[in-house]
Amino acid sequence: MTTQAEPIEAPLAGEPRGEPVRTSLLSTLGVDVRLVGMVVALAVLWIAFNFLSDGRFLTPRNLWNLSVQSAAVAVMTTGMVLIIVSRNIDLSIGSILGFTAMIVGLLQAEWIPDLLGLPLNAPGTWIVVVILGILVGAVIGGLQGFVIAFIGVPSFVVTLGGLLIWRGAAFALASGRTIAPLDPTYQLLGGGPQGSLGATLSWVVAGIAIVAFAIGLVLNRRRRRRYGFPVRPVWADVTIGIIGSLLVAVAVWIANAYPWPPNLAEEYAIENGIPIPPGGLIIPTGIAYPVLIAIGIAVLMTFIAKRRRFGRYVYSIGGNPEAAILAGINTRRTIMKTFILMGALSSIAAVIITARLNASTLALGTGAELQVIAAAVIGGTSLAGGIGTIAGGVLGAVIMQSLSTGMTLIGVDNAQQDMVAGVVLIVAVGFDSWLRRRRV
Amino acid sequence: MSIRRTTAALAVLTMILAACGPSGGGDGSGAAGDCHVGMAWATFQEERYGLRDLPGLEAALEAGGATLTDNDAANSAETQASNVEALLDAGIDVLILNSAEPESSLQSVEAAVDAGIPIIAYDRELESADALFMTHDNVGVGRMIAEAVTEAQPTGNYAIIKGQEGQTNPLFLRQGFEEVIAPLIEAGDITIPEGAEVYTDEWLPDNAQDNMETILTANDNDIQAVLAQNDGMAGGVIAALAAQGLDGEVAVGGQDGDKAAINRVALGTQVVSVLKDATELGTAAGEAALQLCENPDISAVEGAVESTTVGGIEGYAVLLDPLPITRDNLQAALDLEWLTVEELCADVPSGTVDECP
Amino acid sequence: MTATEPVKPATSGSRPPLVEMRNIRVSFGGVHAVDDVSVDLHAGEVVGLVGGNGAGKSTLIRALSGAHPPDEGEIYIDGEKVSISSPQDARNLGIETIYQTLALADNVDAAANLFLGRELTTRLGSLDDAAMESATREVMGRLNPKFKNFKVPVASLSGGQRQSVAIARAVHFNARILIMDEPTAALGPAETEQVRDLVSQLKAQGIGIFLISHDIHDVFDLADRISVMHTGDLVGTVDKDKVTKDEVLAMIIIGKPPEQVSEKEMAQIIH
Repeated sequence: MTTQAEPIEAPLAGEPRGEPVRTSLLSTLGVDVRLVGMVVALAVLWIAFNFLSDGRFLTPRNLWNLSVQSAAVAVMTTGMVLIIVSRNIDLSIGSILGFTAMIVGLLQAEWIPDLLGLPLNAPGTWIVVVILGILVGAVIGGLQGFVIAFIGVPSFVVTLGGLLIWRGAAFALASGRTIAPLDPTYQLLGGGPQGSLGATLSWVVAGIAIVAFAIGLVLNRRRRRRYGFPVRPVWADVTIGIIGSLLVAVAVWIANAYPWPPNLAEEYAIENGIPIPPGGLIIPTGIAYPVLIAIGIAVLMTFIAKRRRFGRYVYSIGGNPEAAILAGINTRRTIMKTFILMGALSSIAAVIITARLNASTLALGTGAELQVIAAAVIGGTSLAGGIGTIAGGVLGAVIMQSLSTGMTLIGVDNAQQDMVAGVVLIVAVGFDSWLRRRRV
Repeated sequence: MSIRRTTAALAVLTMILAACGPSGGGDGSGAAGDCHVGMAWATFQEERYGLRDLPGLEAALEAGGATLTDNDAANSAETQASNVEALLDAGIDVLILNSAEPESSLQSVEAAVDAGIPIIAYDRELESADALFMTHDNVGVGRMIAEAVTEAQPTGNYAIIKGQEGQTNPLFLRQGFEEVIAPLIEAGDITIPEGAEVYTDEWLPDNAQDNMETILTANDNDIQAVLAQNDGMAGGVIAALAAQGLDGEVAVGGQDGDKAAINRVALGTQVVSVLKDATELGTAAGEAALQLCENPDISAVEGAVESTTVGGIEGYAVLLDPLPITRDNLQAALDLEWLTVEELCADVPSGTVDECP
Repeated sequence: MTATEPVKPATSGSRPPLVEMRNIRVSFGGVHAVDDVSVDLHAGEVVGLVGGNGAGKSTLIRALSGAHPPDEGEIYIDGEKVSISSPQDARNLGIETIYQTLALADNVDAAANLFLGRELTTRLGSLDDAAMESATREVMGRLNPKFKNFKVPVASLSGGQRQSVAIARAVHFNARILIMDEPTAALGPAETEQVRDLVSQLKAQGIGIFLISHDIHDVFDLADRISVMHTGDLVGTVDKDKVTKDEVLAMIIIGKPPEQVSEKEMAQIIH
């Protein structure tokens, strides 16, 4: 640590060791090469499944289903990315999900009705249920985070304990009973044709997203100009803007291209006295609420990770914990906060899953921790800490779900599905480390 | 508010830890009584065990003046192996083994046999002639699900939602399905479209829901009936059907007698839930254990019949009859005090079934 | 003790010292890493801190930087007693440290490192990355004009570039007291020269600097006074102009003040 006359071996200042060569189109556009690679991999996967399933994979209906099926894991992955980036792990999320699933189920089906004498579908109870559910998850996460950060028990141990504890606690809450049915309004949070935005609102959301994206690009450009920083060429910004807008528009177009199932459309028509046209009533489904929730959370978490002190500290701790402490960062509090966040996100996932299933059952979330960790890792999060993006994690979740849905669609049985998922995980991480070694 | 909730959670924890202790269950903690029964549970992670099996077992043993020591393996074969060892060390007279993993349980069986302790294989079959297999007739359960569903929907495309791959129960249930649907398939009345028969990871309802959605997509909703291997998964299937407005139109069968499932039977979205009265099984096992304390010969237990295991080993079994609950006999579930009228009739429009006012 | 009485520095006046560390003691599991050491530092002064491996220099300095608060002893800033129990406390008192390890978060860029723990934020509390990058470009422009890689993680920078980020972090926040732990250990000759210039600049601005170095030449070139430590004890503090390099070397190796060193011992050092 102290003096040792070591030979001076460091290279000179300004020597471009590891300085990226800024020549390729992608680097001019300033896009994350890795993320683009994942999108390409996903596209290849989708096209392959479409081919193998005689064109059933790339249908609005299947893609819409896929988006809803990915939502819960995607929500949890956004938190897991931060946990792993800060050199921790959370194995308890599946059990926290299971526990809070029982809490939200019991709250709306038994506790609130029994205490307040309200019926199951009393207006507004769903909001109370969701808020309390999220609070319970956050408190559990906080409890575990406290033990990890302030008492210094490794997160692997604490959350492994949590995995057992909260699963057991979920059982104890209702002796393993299945709580069903749930509040019809609450069920909308799980998606389904009624739990979706419909055509107009979906386009409104798309419009807001595109405008926000464009404003962001312009503001960023202006700000860099004001400080006299180098900026991307105008065509690059415009290209990014157009590609981003197109992606949003296509996604919404696909969601709208999935019409309500005929039976539901018919029911709706009869209830509302709408005449049914000869070809059947076509009601565009649009973006499902759980998907909207997942996207909203991904945007929020990206903002927290990139634009808030907390996020910066999480990454710094992952890069060099000692440096973070010496920089005066309250690393313990930061770590505890990541676990609070993870707990809250697990309960949001519990809300989505129970609402979608219209039931709280004991086993919900079993094995979710592995799915979520795999999604984060496939999405480029390094288990060594310090590296990982929210967007990558969400994409990882979509890739995992695509594999599972696609293989079920083409009739691959369960055991082989697991094997394929395992191979994909290893290949993704292997490719990632190869890429990193090559760059540095 | 949140603090109170945390306290409640901690209280719950304490309860669980206490229940996991080696002397949970019986009230005599092993000292009193001549007959000391050891029970190794595979898992308490399902509705039935704590709610039905254990109370049945406890009641039977208490009535016979025996004591009970039980422990839970949380579905881990390793944990269960050491749990059984602990029970044997505690000096039990009869071992009831609800196997977490039948193959690894054989070592535990051997250890018990060496100690001269009779064994009851509780609800999960063991490949051993030394264990008295006590269960509801699982093949019979499968048969009952398929019978009720084919009666409601004698023709069309069938989807089959099986449990976790690699366990024996899905095989028994599937065998029961087969006995009923094979002739209908042969006659061309029933078809199982390609990819419409799937296993479900961890028996999870949400996985079953994802799978059902995909099956519906692959077949353009042209599915008329679904044979699900438990009620949780049937719930997932029905949620997927509901999203297509097909709930109530597609005939779905399951088993376990979950309250939510029997409610669905009343609602008309599920055709049948085959109920295995686990209290009855617990009681029967308790009574068998009492007999084994007197006479360790398993073939002498009341109701024991000769039976052959999946692996072809000749042994003895006590098979209890399951009870299919359909819209026609909802009263039977009420009679068993399986659930309350309120639970049965939640959301059921009045006048649609007799049991619901 | 007479000979080791702190020598009045050139700039001293009637004002109290900028920093005074009195009777500092730090123990690790019963071993005194620093045992009853007192040093001081005046504004516009460079005090070199030298000693062999395990002499206790870094430990002493970590007590001042808040990284490892002392078990015993007192610290005075401008004659006022202060308590430094965290890096944050030290920073609040205007004490900045350049650690030998640099203490950089390798996975984030130069600006993020420069402002680590005291990020600039917008009115809404979000990180103002543009402002931080601008400030970083400004300070790096002074320290290392060749530095261009503002958008890459510091892990991919050369040793010299990383060093300049660490130095920039210390000087940007208008430190009054600067601790430099082996600031030139990882540098080539040109960069070492830059650091030397920088030290003179900062000194001229009235900043007090503790300079830890294994390089006796560095210390002689830059320091006004030299405090020598040996196995946790302070051997003595000497005025650079009143001693020779050999005498300081003797203090480092033998652990005795120059006047107690015998001719024979001295001869051994020189050869």
